[in-house]
Amino acid sequence: MNGINALLVKVGRSVGGVVGTLYQAGRETVDTTIRNIIPFMAFISFIIGLVLTTGIGDWIANGIKGLASSLVGLLIVSVVCAIPILSPLLGPGAVIAQIVGTLLGVEIGRGNIPAQYSLPALFAINPQVGCDFIPVGLALGEAEPETVEVGVPAVLFSRLITGPLSVVIAYFASFGLYSSN
Amino acid sequence: MKLMIGLETTVGDPTGVWGAFADGAEYFISIFQEGGAVLLSLMGGILPTLIVLLTAVNALVRLIGPEKIENLGVKASQPGLQWYPVRYMVLPFLAVFFLTNPMAYTMGRFLPEKYKPAFYDSAVSYVHPITGIFPHANPGELFVYLGIAAGIQTLGFGLGDLALRYLLVGLVVIFIRGIVTELITARMMARRGAAA
Repeated sequence: MNGINALLVKVGRSVGGVVGTLYQAGRETVDTTIRNIIPFMAFISFIIGLVLTTGIGDWIANGIKGLASSLVGLLIVSVVCAIPILSPLLGPGAVIAQIVGTLLGVEIGRGNIPAQYSLPALFAINPQVGCDFIPVGLALGEAEPETVEVGVPAVLFSRLITGPLSVVIAYFASFGLYSSN
Repeated sequence: MKLMIGLETTVGDPTGVWGAFADGAEYFISIFQEGGAVLLSLMGGILPTLIVLLTAVNALVRLIGPEKIENLGVKASQPGLQWYPVRYMVLPFLAVFFLTNPMAYTMGRFLPEKYKPAFYDSAVSYVHPITGIFPHANPGELFVYLGIAAGIQTLGFGLGDLALRYLLVGLVVIFIRGIVTELITARMMARRGAAA
């Protein structure tokens, strides 16, 4: 009898634990959705509406078409994003990268930029990722102040090399991507 | 409207100054109508999938327990060539997957000081490539990928290929980035040591 009781308690506990975890995960998800995802969707929708309806779209298309549909152009974009003074300014919340990504997406959808450039473009618009956050990120890793002093310029300068390099790698990795069309 | 047609009344388009205003108003609202349509397609298209996926992965992470990867952090701190891929590919991937942005960077605490900037660089560079397949890792910054992916979807292509390539190329890139940053950090530390 005791054995059965113990078993029931054990089963009940673990089932309760799993259900509780799932419920908690759902709650966390809805929380993130409302606080982080939907606000950004609203903002992005406005920008897409603006781009599609007004002439801004064509204006941007002319500007970025040359840049975003050749390897050299994408390299220029990546170098600009990786300039050590600009990169921390472009970084916060990845807002700039998200807006540029959305604009490029609109132009890809309209056929102004070939689809296979989507992969290198993802890297070209993002060499500045986290450049605004280096001291905080290092502090989260419990780095000494001396490490932060060295780490900030080290990461910033590294991006100047690895930013364009990532575009080249992505460019070669994009062969065969949506290219049958 | 139907009533007016029935009465055979025709209303000419407003002209003159007032007409220009009316056109302007229509143009103005059309921007937001278009935006609204985009918002609705996002909410109806991607959001439900995203919520279910986020719930499932969040639950999985909780059931496994993020503290499990701490052992790997300790291992990755060792010198030696074979630990480079662990430190700048496996560890950043697992850290971003299980701890998500920004808590992933706390894994740096298991590494010696000379590796910390490189690990941060490596981990932070992965918070977008991972979102193509695992959006739970960085739900606040999805549109770097989603923005471009939306264009691919408009063209009617599948996203799997792009998402997978983004994930894999991302791994290669963070690996290189980790090594380069480690080298630069070592140089700068040596220079500081010599100056002091």
